[in-house]
Amino acid sequence: MEIPFIVNARKDTGLFNSKVGIWLFLASEVTLFGGLFSGYLFLRLYADYPWPERALPVLPGLINTFILIGSSVTVVFAWAALKMREWRKFQIYMWITLICAVLFLGLKGIEYNAKFHHQAVRLSSEGAVQDFGYLEGHVHYGKLDENGQLVEVSKEEKKENPEGVFSANKIIFKANELTFALKRPAHEAYVKEILKQAGDQHTISLVGDYRVIDEKELHAGGKNRAQLEASAAALVVADGAVLSIDDLDEMEEAFLQARAHDKEIRTEFLRASWSWIRDEKGIEDISNLVITTDLWKERMAEDNEKIKNLMLSAPGTVRYKIEPPLTLVWRPDDIPKLAKTELKLRDDTVVKGELQPSPMLLGVDAIDFRHTALRAEAEGIDPLEAIKQSWILTHKNSQGENELKKAWICHQAWLRHLTEKLDKTNEKKGLEGEDRLVPTENDKYRINWDQMVGYARLDYDPERVYQALSDEGSGEKLYRAGLFDLGGFAGADHSNKNYHFPHVEIPRENVGFTSTFTPKWNTYYAIYFTITGLHGLHVIGGAIVLGYYLFFGRKMYDSNPEWLANRVEVGGLFWHFVDLVWIFLFPILYLM
Amino acid sequence: MADSVEEIKKAKKLYLVIFGALLVGTVLTVAVATIPFLDVGGHGFDAADAVLGLIIASVKASLVMLIFMHLNHEKPLIYFFYGVGIVMAFFCMWLIGWSKSDPIQYGNSEKADGFYNPEKAATNVHGHD
Amino acid sequence: MSADSHDHHDLPFWKKYLFSTDHKTIGIQYGLAAGAFLLFGFFLMIVMRWSIAYPHEPLPGYLSWIFTDGWKGRWLDDGKVTGETYNMFGAMHGTIMVFLGVVPLGFAAFGNYVTPLQIGAPDMAFPKLNMASFWVYLAGGIVMCMSFFMESGAAKSGWTNYSPLAGYADRQIVNQLLAGQTQWLIGLVLLITSSLLGSVNFITTIIQLRAKGLTWMRLPFFVWAMLVTGFLLLLAFPPLEAAGIMQLMDRMVGSSFFMPTGLYSAADDVALDLSGSGSPLLFQHLFWFLGHPEVYVLLLPAIACVAEIIPANTRKPLWGYKPMVWGVIVLGFLSFIVWAHHMYLTGMGPVISTFFQTTTVLISVPSVILLTSLIISLWGGSIRFTMPMIWAAAFLPMFGIGGLTGLPLAFNLADLHLHDTYYVIGHFHYVVAPGILFGLFAGIYHWYPKMTGRFMDNFLGHLHFWPSLVCMNLLFFPMLTQGMAGFHRRWYNGGEGYIEKASDGVNVFGQTVADNISLNEVMTSAAIALAIFQIPFLLNMFISYFWGKKVTSDNPWDATTLEWATPTPPGHGNFTFDVAVYRGPYEYSRPDHDKDYFPQWEEPKRDAPVVESEENPHKESPEA
Repeated sequence: MEIPFIVNARKDTGLFNSKVGIWLFLASEVTLFGGLFSGYLFLRLYADYPWPERALPVLPGLINTFILIGSSVTVVFAWAALKMREWRKFQIYMWITLICAVLFLGLKGIEYNAKFHHQAVRLSSEGAVQDFGYLEGHVHYGKLDENGQLVEVSKEEKKENPEGVFSANKIIFKANELTFALKRPAHEAYVKEILKQAGDQHTISLVGDYRVIDEKELHAGGKNRAQLEASAAALVVADGAVLSIDDLDEMEEAFLQARAHDKEIRTEFLRASWSWIRDEKGIEDISNLVITTDLWKERMAEDNEKIKNLMLSAPGTVRYKIEPPLTLVWRPDDIPKLAKTELKLRDDTVVKGELQPSPMLLGVDAIDFRHTALRAEAEGIDPLEAIKQSWILTHKNSQGENELKKAWICHQAWLRHLTEKLDKTNEKKGLEGEDRLVPTENDKYRINWDQMVGYARLDYDPERVYQALSDEGSGEKLYRAGLFDLGGFAGADHSNKNYHFPHVEIPRENVGFTSTFTPKWNTYYAIYFTITGLHGLHVIGGAIVLGYYLFFGRKMYDSNPEWLANRVEVGGLFWHFVDLVWIFLFPILYLM
Repeated sequence: MADSVEEIKKAKKLYLVIFGALLVGTVLTVAVATIPFLDVGGHGFDAADAVLGLIIASVKASLVMLIFMHLNHEKPLIYFFYGVGIVMAFFCMWLIGWSKSDPIQYGNSEKADGFYNPEKAATNVHGHD
Repeated sequence: MSADSHDHHDLPFWKKYLFSTDHKTIGIQYGLAAGAFLLFGFFLMIVMRWSIAYPHEPLPGYLSWIFTDGWKGRWLDDGKVTGETYNMFGAMHGTIMVFLGVVPLGFAAFGNYVTPLQIGAPDMAFPKLNMASFWVYLAGGIVMCMSFFMESGAAKSGWTNYSPLAGYADRQIVNQLLAGQTQWLIGLVLLITSSLLGSVNFITTIIQLRAKGLTWMRLPFFVWAMLVTGFLLLLAFPPLEAAGIMQLMDRMVGSSFFMPTGLYSAADDVALDLSGSGSPLLFQHLFWFLGHPEVYVLLLPAIACVAEIIPANTRKPLWGYKPMVWGVIVLGFLSFIVWAHHMYLTGMGPVISTFFQTTTVLISVPSVILLTSLIISLWGGSIRFTMPMIWAAAFLPMFGIGGLTGLPLAFNLADLHLHDTYYVIGHFHYVVAPGILFGLFAGIYHWYPKMTGRFMDNFLGHLHFWPSLVCMNLLFFPMLTQGMAGFHRRWYNGGEGYIEKASDGVNVFGQTVADNISLNEVMTSAAIALAIFQIPFLLNMFISYFWGKKVTSDNPWDATTLEWATPTPPGHGNFTFDVAVYRGPYEYSRPDHDKDYFPQWEEPKRDAPVVESEENPHKESPEA
């Protein structure tokens, strides 16, 4: 049996099968990306925070656009070569296409990687207007000293002695007691992490025996409940046992079994009482409600007495004490609930003890007050007044200084210069009213990484900043990262010795919301990663298909070159579509 | 579709021209967004920039579709498939975008600077603009 | 194309029955898998109905024996269904019935088996792709259902999976890949992938592999319906895939696509660690962009089956074939722009609501064209009440009730009252259960002889049909009444909790919950009876396969479409002769022909007088 129209076109449609198939598939891809773009449009139009405009470094995106366009050309040339039966040329063009795909993905990887290591913080505790300032930068390293307090570790020190060093965005908690919930399994990775951090110096031991009455002994009768509880068969894990995953599993198993047993007995009693009601009372015209509230009271009281003696009654939690108290270093993401003396991990494990100062150490490369300004304007407050009260400008470091404030003052000088420049253009062009050029929110309320570097170079002297901008000949040209500056290829380069970024210590209570520049940070990065990630998957898929034709196509080329040409055409159509999507993605995500 | 060797040879030249046009278009997109001199509309990013950027992108996309994907001489069925895809995607974007900017419910004034203002909208629930 | 059956019989077992690329085997695989899922979804429903009727009573032994003790310990409260468990079952009942049951049965099983036969094709255009879509579908279904056995349980946020509820549920699970809510999304993405592959395959097959002479207006209506359904799946599913991926991101990496600013969980007493500024409304839009066309994806295969069965059993042509074809095309198109009538209560605003109200009312026009044409097709026919015809005849009024009860929901004003009540449940269950499922049952009885070479048993068929008809109505009609009395669709205790709090609440129809609560027990009994009366059907399928009455010809119903020209059951490659089509699909009782049916493939007699046919006025020959 052979399917018709695989190679040759059907007469009335003029198409071969796979071409119909691929175009249908592309139509569905149009609606897939249509859905994603709908999401983008909707999220952007109705965002309740300032949408990050033109927030990404343009250069990688631009290069990637060139790469994809180039590969689109080579893939169509590869097809043309096949049509003309030039195998060598086909191979060459296909190779170039695949190399383009790899380059594209590599560049994308560099971009992604830069974002994964770039931290953002919203400084909020109470949700007041001034708490909506953002800091961006790289988290510095730290470790615990012998008193269990956080100290900073420089990159060089880390290289020499990496032991115990972590990036300083952690909850530091002096723990003396752990309580595991047996209702659901403790997350193994957490237990392992606790055991690892405890090492040899700390012992974590069970408080009290974990005992569950043995089912067989209970149903055999002959012992009262006190005896049953004291019997050897009831012991699951003994007092003082050192914390281990096996023990936890065992207790959990015992608990779940006991719970199932108890519930089964309760179910039986409940069933019996219902049939009693049906038989004795007849319920034809009585609703469920009446039965539960009135008819049942005595019967239920009786039953409950009987039930009590038949229960295994396993405790649902177990307590471990830690001696001596252990200072745990924990990722904030795993702690949904944090208080001064108690924290709860995501697997419902409760840790008791004392919260230690857990500041975030950040090398700041950008300050952003746009959200503050937006909120302030909504509430009728002067944005600049609100900004002045923010933690970013009011805090002091251990030397009593605040570099961020200095940068902000310099930025006002920068802004003054920009306003004057725009006013000059306004005058020259005679722009008035709404047409006048004015600084954007970005200009006014955001200090970018290149500006941070520039202000620091000029010793945070606002006058010098203003001079450097207005006086071209002064020799102190303010540093601006141009399009082709590789120092900002994928964002601020913190390893560059020539760049200075202020170091701040943000107390935990001032860390409102923090994330790296991943989908979590805001809906812009969410949609950015989703769309480009899906697009990247399409690139990978397309490359696999085209690679298949390149590496395994020879046999088909020898037997049926037209079929192979058809296949390459179809693969090429998909590849062009991937290019097409990127043509829209680049301006929308990088330039708007 | 170019099927004979002659036609393909001719088409290859066209592909190179389109390649050049796409590169120019890309540079142009970046230029209008980054060089102040070429900035349309007001200073910084605004609606005019968005429209211009999308126009350039659409032109580039059309070139890819028409020439590289051979849509300039394709069978009617293919136009139909791709057409309904685009129409449905358009419905999806248009109606979803529209649904939260109902002129009676939300009015048009709240959308100044592009941010939806819930408080203003709330007072406007029963009102008319 | 001659059927070369040798290559088929040499295949090893696993290639022939398990990883087969033959569209008929794949169709049957789809049918069996979908049937299993339907039974499972049905079971979930009975547990829910028990909880509604007897909220204080433990599940009876015949329902609870299937659960392990550990499972009961976790999910049942002393044997009673808890609210959480009810939500879980409700969400999974909807998901399973729609995505894993009815669509695969209607579109994938019938579509796969019948479509290539009806267009005279040897197989689907992309047989390997066809196999892939089945296995991806099965993987998706298994991933979704496996979560019942996990610590988190299965998804519990409704089959619509609205955020922020669906974004927050199961957050406590550290490894999100093991959370039911996440697995639901992964399953969904797999199912969508399967549907996309399938729909590309169907449309390509119908366009490219039609037999000689099978012009567009000679296509059986079944094929038209499959073509439109294919387009619906192709274009409506991807936005939901986008939404599914976004929600997956929300769950796996903590983004806020659908999570608005300032979320706070009262149960855990914490503000959620999220950026906010997402939009729950966006999810609803993307969901219903698929969700509404999906309704027609469910419906069209059933109408398609009925449209084949009625002409074959009334022995007269389908009335209004052309309007039906255009109707189904318009229906397909309009179904894309009616989705927000599911969202009148979200505060979209009156202008946009009016837009969607208008399109929704418009779409009833093609629907009515379809149904009316089918009803008029009965007029003046000499109806043979075969088993398939009985089901098809019952489909008409049942689907009619379902469709007409939808009208009030199309209007903003009425919907404000009826939204999320049992009225809505009653409405769409009338469409899906006694409507669509009856149509599909009709299809099974109709094509079973072609698939197996034996008829299904008539007595068991009647034992299946009549009680099902009665029970379906006893089950779903009270829902309409209850809905108008204000019963909310998500009450796990059937309204008792409501009566306790607001016993004398009277709604605009002057109805109270207390007046109608006793209907719960009637409905639950009907549901259980309905389950019992599916047993004759299962027995029938099995018994008839081995001992049923054998067919005496390849065309046992004396039908006209191409599937009856194949051997019984059709071999690999389907046809044993070169297929050519000479006339339209429903040429019954033609006065110039000696038999009361004139199959599409039968060559016209050379000496027969030239017949004026609508399609081809001058000649009856295949196109060159």
